[in-house]
Amino acid sequence: MNGSILSPFNVSHPTAIQTSLLDRASFAKFDPSGRYLATGKLDGSSSIWDLETRSTIRLLDGHVKAVTSVDWSRYSRYLLTSSRDWNVIIWDLASPFDPPQRHTTIRFDAPVVSASFHPRNSNIVLALLITGDAFVADLRKEHRSRTELCEVYDEADEGTKPRSAMTVARFDPTGKYIFIGTAAGSVLVFNSRTKAMVARHKISGAGTMRGFDFSKGGRRLVTNSSDRALRHFNLPIYPSPSPASDPPEYLDQELKPIYQFNDPINKTAWHTMSYSPEGQWLAGGAADHATHKIYIWDIVNDGQFVCTLDGGREPLIHLHWHPRKSVIASTTNQGNILIWHCPIPERWGAFAGGFEEVDENVEYHEREDEFDIEDEAETARRKMKREEEEVDIDGLDDAPMQQSTPVIPPKDDEDAAWADDEPDDDKPEWKMAIIMVEEDYL
Amino acid sequence: MVEEQAVDDHETKSEQERPQETQPCVTPDIEMKVPDLEVKQVTSEKPNYKLQYSLSGHTMSVSSLKFSPNGTMLVSAAADKLVKLWNAFTGEFIRTFEGHTQGISDVAWSGDSDYIASASDDKTIRIWSLETGSTAMTLNGHTSFVFCVNYNPNSNLLVSGGFDETVRVWDVARGRCLKVLPAHSDPVTAVGFNHDGTLVVSSAMDGLIRIWDAESGQCLKTLVDDDNPICSHVKWSPNSRFVLVSTQDSTIRLWNHQTSRCVKTYSGHVNRTYCIPACFTNVGSKCIVSGSEDAKIYIWDLQTREVLQILEGHRDVVLAVATHPTHNIIASAGMDKDLTVRLWRDSKPTS
Repeated sequence: MNGSILSPFNVSHPTAIQTSLLDRASFAKFDPSGRYLATGKLDGSSSIWDLETRSTIRLLDGHVKAVTSVDWSRYSRYLLTSSRDWNVIIWDLASPFDPPQRHTTIRFDAPVVSASFHPRNSNIVLALLITGDAFVADLRKEHRSRTELCEVYDEADEGTKPRSAMTVARFDPTGKYIFIGTAAGSVLVFNSRTKAMVARHKISGAGTMRGFDFSKGGRRLVTNSSDRALRHFNLPIYPSPSPASDPPEYLDQELKPIYQFNDPINKTAWHTMSYSPEGQWLAGGAADHATHKIYIWDIVNDGQFVCTLDGGREPLIHLHWHPRKSVIASTTNQGNILIWHCPIPERWGAFAGGFEEVDENVEYHEREDEFDIEDEAETARRKMKREEEEVDIDGLDDAPMQQSTPVIPPKDDEDAAWADDEPDDDKPEWKMAIIMVEEDYL
Repeated sequence: MVEEQAVDDHETKSEQERPQETQPCVTPDIEMKVPDLEVKQVTSEKPNYKLQYSLSGHTMSVSSLKFSPNGTMLVSAAADKLVKLWNAFTGEFIRTFEGHTQGISDVAWSGDSDYIASASDDKTIRIWSLETGSTAMTLNGHTSFVFCVNYNPNSNLLVSGGFDETVRVWDVARGRCLKVLPAHSDPVTAVGFNHDGTLVVSSAMDGLIRIWDAESGQCLKTLVDDDNPICSHVKWSPNSRFVLVSTQDSTIRLWNHQTSRCVKTYSGHVNRTYCIPACFTNVGSKCIVSGSEDAKIYIWDLQTREVLQILEGHRDVVLAVATHPTHNIIASAGMDKDLTVRLWRDSKPTS
């Protein structure tokens, strides 16, 4: 809304620390609306921060070991936490209590490294275990199942090569595919509905896959791997699986990065990376033991390196870009969260009505009739005439600010239809109840 | 009129005799009235509001009225330090909230209709829980009378203004003051968040309307009229493209804040002394409603600026008006010669 008053030209990447939040977080992730931040901690708890009031509004205490990942449902009603205690808990934030109600607990057979919701339905959960196995847990009545994602090998390779452990597992933003990174440096693509492997991309020289991030539309992927490089790819279009073929066909293609980012001098590795909302920038969090550095690259301009942001002496361990704004949350190894923003210089001229600030002196030329005395009746009539124009006090001129931007699939999309079957109760209208802290408790 | 006076006195008495509080639901304290007013000639398009109920209970001037967002309740606040809750449709009295030590100037509803915030001359804002019927939070910080208060759309923030000439933003959950904006050089008469909570508008007796960035607290714009009359109220249009400004030169103006131009002027009423708010009707044809110091309520057509209907019946300055979110109901109340809260209803079906 205030975009129309603020200058449209200050679209930029964050440049300065706005505030820091004191938590004991190992990471912090924005919700799809950007109003909240969820953190995971080593003691097994998670907190939710309200960024408008900069205070914690919920404490989710459900795990007995470190929380390894969190994920928000698309309208932020459900929050998932995964932990080394083998559990994944789904919390329902619509309950007006603190801590909120547990919606579901899913127990696995090993510590859970990461877990995430299907982007269209929070009843479908993807989990990656420390053993290198990835599972899709479907909690819907009609589909209730737990399916392991298995890499398909060529017959020639069968048995000869040891199976490579899965190290990253993510849904793409459409939810149609699951992307798996392996210790052998490949990216495997599975269909979320059929759980069949549709593609294997060998990334040469990458080593073990450490992390993925997708641009909003899901057409671009950035990978982090053990060779200390971030690779930015444009993803191909995957063929829809043909059910008849046996063994199932898949695309076996080496993927060449469009850009590859690394630190040529210090050769630092990366903890995490995150695209800006429009995919214009990429931020990389350096895994440096003594500094807190965020590297920013301009994807639109040939992947040029733009700058590093220095966050002081507490080393960075995680970062996440705000889903809508030029804001980054970076977590330090002390568990504090730094909120970076792009400060707007204060315009003092705004305090005076009808006053305009200019950068340089301008010689003012008065209009010929500027100080002519006009007949008052005439002025009034002119004013009345101008007020004849109809005004619209209801219509919103800017596109409705959506909480998240679900990717709209074609109508007859079988995968989307499958995901939308038995939908969850995550609706745009729900609101997080304000829980007032007892006065004597403060 | 004489007969009405008698009825009102009786009602006021009964209210006072009633044991105070502890009864969450008391017997209806209302009087259904046959509208005895002559209404100005009415054509088919014109609104036709008629008096439906007169509610008695307050013992001093009523300063503010607000319908709950869910439409079921009406809250009133008065100089008698009390906040009273009424059924919006039947006029039935629901409960009184007692706790302020000075008169109250403004009230606001949270988005879920579960809480009411009230701004008082005792320099505090109290947040009342409808569930418990007591104060859920007291916000301390203003150094003088608090005159206006409003929630943001998510109801996690409150914005308030007062005679200390500041605008303050509060964390509702913890009762902390987040920002103090040295906003004006005279008492702040109204503040409010826009529909998406990114902007705050404030008006003051210095005659200025200021628009603020809610997140950073920076002033983005100042609107000022040539004659600089005292601004008594400001309100966002539903789409936040305009602000409706009442000034004490007996004029209400609709400003386009982006172009800094006044696009509509409404006049005919009297407003030279008090801070009288104006509001938009939410259903049917678009109108502007305002109280007036001639004890009447004026309804203008939003577009043509013509006065469509004048509601008569109050016997003193009408200080507070409110429009119902989903029905053609107007609530009004005013200064202490007439302590009734009146509910006016336009029963014609809305197209």
